[in-house]
Order: sequence, then structure tokens, then C-alpha cells
Amino acid sequence: MGHHHVSSSAMFTNVLIVLLILTAVTVIASRIDFGPANMLIAMLIASVKASLVILFFMHMKWDTAINKIVFLSSFLFLSLLFIFTLADQATRRIDHPMHATKAKVSKEWAYPKPAMSEKH
Amino acid sequence: MTTHAPILDTQKAKSEQPKNYLNCSSGFWSWAGTLDHKRIGIMYLIGTGLAFLAGGLFALLVRLHLWEPNGMLFTNDQYNEIFTLHGAFMVFLFVIPAIPGSLGNMILPLMLGAKDVALPRLNLLSFYLWVMGAVLAALAIVLGGFDTGWTFYAPYSLYTNKAVVTIGLGIFLLGFSSIFTGLNFIVTTHKLRAPGLTWFRMPLFVWALYATALLQVLATPVLGITVLLVAFERLYHIGIFDPRLGGDPVLFEHFFWFYSHPAVYIMVLPAFGIISELVSVHSRKPLFGYKLIAFSSLAIAIISFLVWGHHMFTSGQSTYAMFAFSFLTFFVAIPTAIKEFSWVATIWKGSIALNSPMLYTLAFLIIFAIGGLTGVILGALNVDLHLHDTYFVVAHFHYVMMGSIALAFFAGLHHWWPKMFGVMYNETLAKIACVTIFVGFNVTFLPQFEMGSQGMPRRYATYVPEFQPYHSASTVGAIILGSGVALMVSYLVASLFIGKKAMQNQWGGVTLDWLTPTPPPLENFAHAPKVTTEVYDYSTLDLKSTQTPIG
Amino acid sequence: MSHDGHHSVVIPAPGPEFVPHTVAHHFDTPVQEFQSAKLGFWLFLATEILLFGGLFAAYFYYHDLYPETFRVGGQQLDWKLGAVNTSVLLLSSWTMAMGVRSAQTSQKQKTMLFCALTVLGAVIFMVIKFFEYKAKTEHGLFVFPHMFDNYQVDGSSNAGSLAWFTDVHNVMVDETGAPLLHGHLFFAIYVTMTAIHGLHVIIGAGLILWIMKGVAKGRFHAGYYLPVDLVGLYWHLVDLIWIFLFPLLYLVP
Repeated sequence: MGHHHVSSSAMFTNVLIVLLILTAVTVIASRIDFGPANMLIAMLIASVKASLVILFFMHMKWDTAINKIVFLSSFLFLSLLFIFTLADQATRRIDHPMHATKAKVSKEWAYPKPAMSEKH
Repeated sequence: MTTHAPILDTQKAKSEQPKNYLNCSSGFWSWAGTLDHKRIGIMYLIGTGLAFLAGGLFALLVRLHLWEPNGMLFTNDQYNEIFTLHGAFMVFLFVIPAIPGSLGNMILPLMLGAKDVALPRLNLLSFYLWVMGAVLAALAIVLGGFDTGWTFYAPYSLYTNKAVVTIGLGIFLLGFSSIFTGLNFIVTTHKLRAPGLTWFRMPLFVWALYATALLQVLATPVLGITVLLVAFERLYHIGIFDPRLGGDPVLFEHFFWFYSHPAVYIMVLPAFGIISELVSVHSRKPLFGYKLIAFSSLAIAIISFLVWGHHMFTSGQSTYAMFAFSFLTFFVAIPTAIKEFSWVATIWKGSIALNSPMLYTLAFLIIFAIGGLTGVILGALNVDLHLHDTYFVVAHFHYVMMGSIALAFFAGLHHWWPKMFGVMYNETLAKIACVTIFVGFNVTFLPQFEMGSQGMPRRYATYVPEFQPYHSASTVGAIILGSGVALMVSYLVASLFIGKKAMQNQWGGVTLDWLTPTPPPLENFAHAPKVTTEVYDYSTLDLKSTQTPIG
Repeated sequence: MSHDGHHSVVIPAPGPEFVPHTVAHHFDTPVQEFQSAKLGFWLFLATEILLFGGLFAAYFYYHDLYPETFRVGGQQLDWKLGAVNTSVLLLSSWTMAMGVRSAQTSQKQKTMLFCALTVLGAVIFMVIKFFEYKAKTEHGLFVFPHMFDNYQVDGSSNAGSLAWFTDVHNVMVDETGAPLLHGHLFFAIYVTMTAIHGLHVIIGAGLILWIMKGVAKGRFHAGYYLPVDLVGLYWHLVDLIWIFLFPLLYLVP
């Protein structure tokens, strides 16, 4: 039938505990302002959690090479979508000054219908 | 599991005829519920063939309308709908699904020495998703049509009072049809190869379908989410692409072309695979640069993900993004050129048979050279700024989509017709049709390069009188082209009823698909083949099989 | 049967409470069937990553374009409920993994139990989601119940009025009290991402219920647990997506 690796219950439980701890870490880290690195740190912690789920819960650590390549390549090609669209957006302000400013608008202009609050 | 209907009395006369996948069972459900890849391939052939004819009819309407500068047939709004239908039907219902769905399904398992694809039920599901997509496309016409162009750009696609959500849902289903076919082919290629059939003994049609499948799996989901988001915008106004709500229409274009550029390689790579097979068989010579061609398919697949912005050079991207996309676009020409040169080198000093499949192949080699090179021209940022949205672009993509992909499809159809049906079509009519199609095609689209470079915009219902000679020539060409296609369809269909019996191995191929009986039995091979020779080794060819009719 | 005399392979049942499994006729061995199905399913999961990935790309794109909107928007979400939901999904991933393991070791009762617990996790997740959506609707930040209302365009100011974004408590403002640019956009993206994710939770729960039916019939055991394995993978994917959704949407410094 071919060798099928059966994980131990203890291994699954240990992974769960680490995942729950990392969730707490994510919440705590979000309370601290690292400036522009905020997003990066949050994503890094999430990536560690994701790796644990993929490697252990989804059994990828003991799976065939082709299955690993298939799943990981989806992230690789997705990153191309991220990189090019974000780079386009980010570099537009070099071309056109209007992309660099974010003008404030009044609520009436943005949502011209009877408002429900008396603030304006 | 397929079930076999009992042999009826009326079939007793044919009982000496060996059982093959066509006659082993009969009745509507034996086809509608089949799990056999060959029957599914036939159903795809009929479906995508009908879609091609419908798309062709829309094209003829477009060309007839443009006979006169003020438009001969339609109002401007109607014209927008007609050319949109032409594009959408052709791209989504024919060019993307046809070769993998029909010839791919039919031939891939045979070439691998397998009994079927790896996931036959998924295969049938793929076909039914195609059917549902086609039904929704037809429904969209009834519900008011759509006039956005096949690219349904935001913001117009968000506002236009047409059946955009209907066709969007249809495209979503067609996308999953494509994804599941690609998924199936990848698994089949990895897991169901016959003993001895290593990766570098696989025919190049398989390599081509494999590279196509990678694109189908990795790129199409982004089209899926894009269509969903457009639907959400139209229904719930989430504001993601609508500039009035803070959305960015250019983001729509990024999402759309992230799929649609790899999509053009989903369209063309299978065509390249067909040509690779045909140049070898009809020159009775091994492929020149087999490994080069195999790897070039993978290279094209990968590079195709890096260039999509070249469709958006006038949309408002940052200059730096445009530089990057233009620069990267040139690289995709390299593996493509490797293929073109390798094919020509294969034919060189081969034992060339100028039969109809080979004539279509030669036509492809000429037309694709023009189509591919004009693509490189358009990839140059500074040139494209002038040529974007002109007839130059229209001519380029018709040279690759119609002149190359459709012609390769016709070539493959003629090449594998005897294998699929056990009959031969009228070879003289086939040659006439091929020449007619070649002439008609070039008369239609060659003038369009010129008028495009002179500034004739695309998707315009009317034009200034100075372009009329070009448009008239193009319309005449379209009529010639249509006649050629009509002739082709006629003799092919006629051959099913009155065609002569085909030879066991009509053209003298040596890949596993030619070694099965003609037509193949349900299980493809009487005994699982063991592969011991290299691919395209014509010294193994049994010449008697090319002279012995079946039955 | 097939014409060449090749008989289908049958995997015997390991005990009286199980049934044997017949390998599909186009495969030569059970291993080929197992590996083909697994590879096919990983390919399908890859497509799901790319489908959701598009939504994440839109999120990052607009987060960069309207950082204040996204910051204030994120603050409107209850991070505690989000953290509970994250923990629920992680736990349900654990129960699912344990369920697959039980099938692998032919423990019928345990497989049933772990599958049921996983479905319970899904239900808890959706209930919490429902209350979150309800609260946001009451604050006028949200889509339902005015989702299909008419969308007017004011030609002169070039701005649109959105029937569903009423912002009753005026929360989407900056420190001076001026409304944030396109305040609705954060919530539009939030709803789209979490609703599509929620749909996958429901589908996953449905698949697990289907598995439970098969478990009851004794179809899954050490010789053949493939469907349990594949549904498990799907469930872990649902968890994976949420692992990234939670910090992006709920946690802002």
C-alpha cells in the first residue's frame, strides 16, 4: 500500500499549543507600534503559524516533493501579483504629484444624502 | 465505470467490426454520462466547434458592417454588442478550451499509454461546466447582451445597463472548467505514464499540454475572483474598482491581465504542441531540439506571468512599472523563437509529405512568424503608446489567435481525424480549403496592420473614408476565409458518413497514440504498453500499418 | 469489466465494522490512486490560494492608498471576537487532524467524534461571525440590509451616495472630525473577504458531514482513508486563510 506516515497525537497537540501561543503573540505585538514594520511583523508571525499548519496538520513534511512544489508555487506566483500591482501603485507618486496627496473631503460631498448624526 | 449497452439486432451486421470507443455502447446517456476521455473529447469538439462557428458569424457581421465608413448594418450601440460577442465567444468558448478539451482529452492519455485521464469524473465535470458557461453566454444575449468588449474593463462594465453579471457568471464557470482540465492533465502526466515512458520520452504535445495546464491552474483563479468582484460591484457597489467610490480601475486591469496574458499562452501552447507533432510525422524525422522545445514551453509559461502590464501601457500605470513590463516582454520572444527555428530545422531535409495536415502546418509557420514578431513590436513601450487600441493590435492578435491557433487546431483535427473516427476526409477538398483559408486570412488581416499604424482605432463602428479601401479588402478576405471554413466543416462532417476507411496508421506516426487500434477501443490498449525506444524513433515504424486500411 | 482481463484491485476491510474499497479501474495500484488524488487536491488548494490571493492583493493595494481609512476601520472591529474565532479555527484544525489520524488507524468511533467536534467549531465560528455582522449593520458601517438599494450618482460633484454606508455613530473620521476618504471601502473589503471565507467554512462543514456519513458506513480505514485526508486538507486551508485574515483586518497598532 505504500508507507503512510501516521503522526502522533502528542505532535498534533504540541503544534496546537504553539499556534495558540503565537496567536497571543500576534495580539500583543499589535499593541506595540513598530511604525512601518507593523504589517511586516504581523505577516511574519502569520507566516510562521501558516507554516506549522501546512507542515504538520496538512502533513506536508512527509509528503511527496511534487505536492510541496505545487502548493508552494501558488504562493510564489501570487507574490508576483502583489509585487507588480503594489509597485505600480507606490511608484505612481513619483510621476504625478497628485498621487502623493490625500485630500480630505467633507461628508456632504462624499455621501450626499441626509445624514443621521447631528455632528454636521 | 462505463456500462455497455447490449448488442442490438440491427448491429449484428456490423458485429465483425471490432469494438471501439464509438460503437461499444449507444444511447444518449452512454455519451452524456460517459467517463471515457475520448467521448468527452468528441463532445468538446462539437461544443467548441459550434462556438467557433457562432463566433465566426459574429465576425462576419462585424466585417459586413464595416464595409461602409458610416457602418452598414448596425447602430453604434449594436455594433459594440456584436464585436463583444465575437470576442467573448471566441476567447472563452473556443480558443481557450478547444485544443485541450477536444484533442488534448482525446490524445493525451493515448500518448502516455494510459487507460484514461487520472480523474475521469472531474473530466466530465469540466465538460459540463463548459456547457453551463455556454448556456449562460447564450442567456446573456437574450437578457440584453453586453457591450463592454471581451475585456469588460471597469468602470464601464460597472455602469452599463447590460447582462454583465450573467456573462460574468458564465465566465466564472468556464474558468473552473479550464482549471479542472489543467489539474487533470497535470496529475495524468505525473502519475499515469506507461512503464518506460520517462519525461524525455514523452511526445511534445504532452509537454505543451502540461505547460498549458500549469497556466490553467495558476492563472485562472485570479480571473475568477476578478469576475466575482465585478459582480459584487454591480450588485452591492462595494467600490473596489469604481473611481467614484475610491476604487481604482487600473487595479481591475492588473487583475484581469494577470490572468489574461498567461491565458494567451494557454491558448497558444497547445497549438505549438500540435505543430511539433505534425512537423515530425509529416517529415518522418525526429524533432530538432526536442529538449529545447520541451523546456521552451515551460519557460514561456513562467515568463508569461511577468509581462501582463504590456496590455496597459496607456492606462495610467507608473512609468517604472511600464519600463519593467516592456523589458520583460522581450524575453518571452526567445523561447518562442527557439520553437519556430526548431520546427523549420525539423522539416529541413526531411521526407516531406505535402498532405493537408502538413499544408496547415506550413501555413502556421508563415503566419505565426508574422504574428509573433508583431507581438514583439507591440511590446516596445514607446511604439505601443501609438499603436495601442489601433487595428495593428487587432491584426497582431488575429494572426496569433486565428491564423496560428485556429489553423493549428485545424491541422491537428485533420491529422488525428482518421485516428478518432476511422475514416478519411476528401484530401483534395482539404487542400482547397486550406489554401482558401490561408488566402482569405491574409487578405482579411494584412491590411489591418497598415491601417492600424495609420491610426485606425479598434472597436469603432464608423471610420473616416480614407480607411475604406483597407476595410473593404478586409471584408472581402473575411468572406473568403468564411467560405474556406465552411468548406472544411462540410467535408469533415461528410467524411463521417461517406468517408473511406482510414489506414491503421494513416501518416506513419510512432508515438503511442498511433499504435493503438484505429479507432481506439474503450480501454485504449489491449495490453499496457512498455516503452523501450526513444520518442520519434522512425526506425520502429511498421510501414505496413500505413498502407493497411482498418476494419 | 475491462477487456484485457485486468481485474480491479480491492483493498480488504480491516474488520467487520468496515467495508472493502475497490480501486478505480483506470489505476493499476492503490498507491497510484492515492497519489493521483492527493496531487489533484493539492493543485486545487493552489487555485484556492490564488483565488483568495486576489482579495489580499486588493487589500494591500487599498491599505497603501488609504492608510488612515484602514487604520480607523480596523479599530471598529472587535479584536477579541476575532481572536476567539482564530482560536476556534485552530482548535478545529487540531480536531480535524486528529480525525484523519483516527481514520488512518481504523478507529471508527474516534473518527466520528473528531469530525463532529470540527463541525461544532465551524458552527461556533459562523455564530460569532453572525453577531459581528449584526453589530456592524446596526452601526451603519455595513452592507446588509440595504445591499440592493438604488445607487445614485450625483453628476455634479462626481460622488456617489451609497445606500448602505450610513456610519450612524460617525466613527470613520480623522482626529479633526472630518470624514475619512472613502470610509466604506474598508468595510466593503472586510465583508467581501470574510463572506467568501465564511462560505468556505460552510462548504467545509458540509464536506465533513458527508465524511461522517461515510465513516458511519465503515468506508474509511487504514487501507483507504483518502476522502477523510482530502477533506481534512480543505479544512486546514480554511484555517490557513483565516490565519492571515485575522491580523490584517482586526489587529491594528
